[in-house]
Amino acid sequence: MAENPSMEANTKAGGPPEWLALALDRPPVDVRGILAGGEDPFAAIMEAAAPIAFGGFLVIDAPFNPSPLRRILAGRGFSSYGRKLSEGHWRVFFHLDGGADWEAGAEVEVLPEGAMTWREDDGIHIDVRKLSPPNPLLAIIRLIEGIDGDETVVVHHDREPQLLAPELAERGWHIARMASEVVNIRLWLERI
Amino acid sequence: MFPGSLMMGAKERLLPPSLPYRFFIAAVVFHMAAWATLLAAGPEAVLGFMGGQGLVLAALHMITLGTLAMSAMGASIQLLPVATRRPLGPLWAIRLMFWLYAPGVAVFVAGLGLAIPGAQHLGGALAVAGLTVFGGLVAANLRQVGDLPGVTRYTWMAVVSLAALAVLGLGLVVDFTKGFLPDHGAVAVTHAVLAGYGFMGMLALGFSTVLIPMFVLGSAVPDKLAKRSALASGIALTVAVVGVASGIGAVAALGAVLGLVAVGLHAHALSGTIKSRMKKRFEPFFRLVWVAVVLLPLGLLVGLALALGAPADPWATLWGFLLIFGWLLTFVTALLQRIMPFLASMHSSSLGGKPALLSRLAPKLPVDIHLACHTAALVLIAAAIIGGWTWPLWLGLVAGLAGSIAFGGFAIEVIRRYRTHMNAAAAANHEG
Repeated sequence: MAENPSMEANTKAGGPPEWLALALDRPPVDVRGILAGGEDPFAAIMEAAAPIAFGGFLVIDAPFNPSPLRRILAGRGFSSYGRKLSEGHWRVFFHLDGGADWEAGAEVEVLPEGAMTWREDDGIHIDVRKLSPPNPLLAIIRLIEGIDGDETVVVHHDREPQLLAPELAERGWHIARMASEVVNIRLWLERI
Repeated sequence: MFPGSLMMGAKERLLPPSLPYRFFIAAVVFHMAAWATLLAAGPEAVLGFMGGQGLVLAALHMITLGTLAMSAMGASIQLLPVATRRPLGPLWAIRLMFWLYAPGVAVFVAGLGLAIPGAQHLGGALAVAGLTVFGGLVAANLRQVGDLPGVTRYTWMAVVSLAALAVLGLGLVVDFTKGFLPDHGAVAVTHAVLAGYGFMGMLALGFSTVLIPMFVLGSAVPDKLAKRSALASGIALTVAVVGVASGIGAVAALGAVLGLVAVGLHAHALSGTIKSRMKKRFEPFFRLVWVAVVLLPLGLLVGLALALGAPADPWATLWGFLLIFGWLLTFVTALLQRIMPFLASMHSSSLGGKPALLSRLAPKLPVDIHLACHTAALVLIAAAIIGGWTWPLWLGLVAGLAGSIAFGGFAIEVIRRYRTHMNAAAAANHEG
């Protein structure tokens, strides 16, 4: 795991939370097959989370960083920590500890609109799924206005954001490409 | 991986540009026609207007049906599905809606202006049929939405108001020839309240909870605040309608007071958005929004005075003017200034390549001229109504017509610049 670049970056940023060692040997709930079948695994995950007692753990394997799920479970008292194991394979560890200040040890930053950002090899990722309009737009604009260089921004959205392109164009950015998956539409934003 | 996330794709949400634009172009044409008709009617007819068939009533409906409702329909068919993330309905239904409604309004206002009952009945029936399609499409969309209380509650009230005002409107038209209504005036005022504050007012307030945050890049209006102001607006409208329909001034006055409270709550709900906005400098269209925001409560205050016994001449005319031309027309033209280039920009990358910049699609001179002429018209006509003066009224009508022509020029220029961009994109594609 040490050779994983994103993991390495996380360790440099302060390292994983102390409780992670206790969660590593828990069997993961792998939802990649459910998503590949075109179904939403939310109900299955909630079913798995329901019997967990305070102090317990839940581990989810997903094809992407499931940021909205992490926000939802944070609201139910779960702290979380995510690792990108390989391309298309994320493992997220959840710990039912009250969820207070959960993002401090979660290798992510949460913007004022509730969007989660993190860094990967291909650029800065921002997850705006399940945010009420116009918060996805605001979060993306806030992020790109804070970028000085030519870094790519990868947006995780739950729909094609029709209102985004005109605002990006005004700021000298554009949607370079788009990939559509179940519950995860990805957009690569680059400077024009 | 989270509930409600499997939604429709963008292709179902982004309509062909010709669909919303046909409504906007019709709205612009009726806008100019309304001011020209008022000028043709002359200042005396405007000052003495207390209802009844003729050019003034025709011009009034060119604004309400032709510009305000037409713009609301054009904006709703594109923005409601984007906001609610649910499809609005089949394209043929939207086309049918336009082809029933736009000719219907044209025939109806011609019938009102020239006092031709057959044209009034035919045009009114067609317009109501178009509005029925619109109401049905919006209601079907709203039934699928549970997560946007700020928009949906206001829009539901608009749909209910639309049904009621359409029934009353048809009754008023038939009453011109049959004379079956016991109190034509009371029904006309109820129809006006439902149209101005119910249908158009609720749509304006509801859409503002989505559009204003989007256009100023401010935080979303909290659901709790939006629900509270929607509830207050609904109560105010209900009380006001009961008051004017029953002719009980105290109840109508209570409705006006509650309306002022609702406006205050709505302003409070949006104040957080304005304070948190990322665009520190307001765009040009916002100048008209400020004018509209001032004139909405002012109109309610005049309505309150009327309900408490102020004489109908001149206060009823002033109330109607502030409601329709002051608050609604100002607000709708403000939003059209922003929506038209915005939609053009959204569509401008459909052939690939860079999207057209909003700032390059929207010409500034026509909107500056429109702002100056429109505000001048508001001040001059309001003063003329209060003072009973004909020459400021005449000047105001000329200013209003000049402003509407400038606004028409703005619309044409947006479309021309969009087409230029698309032609260049098509040529680049062909060469590539």
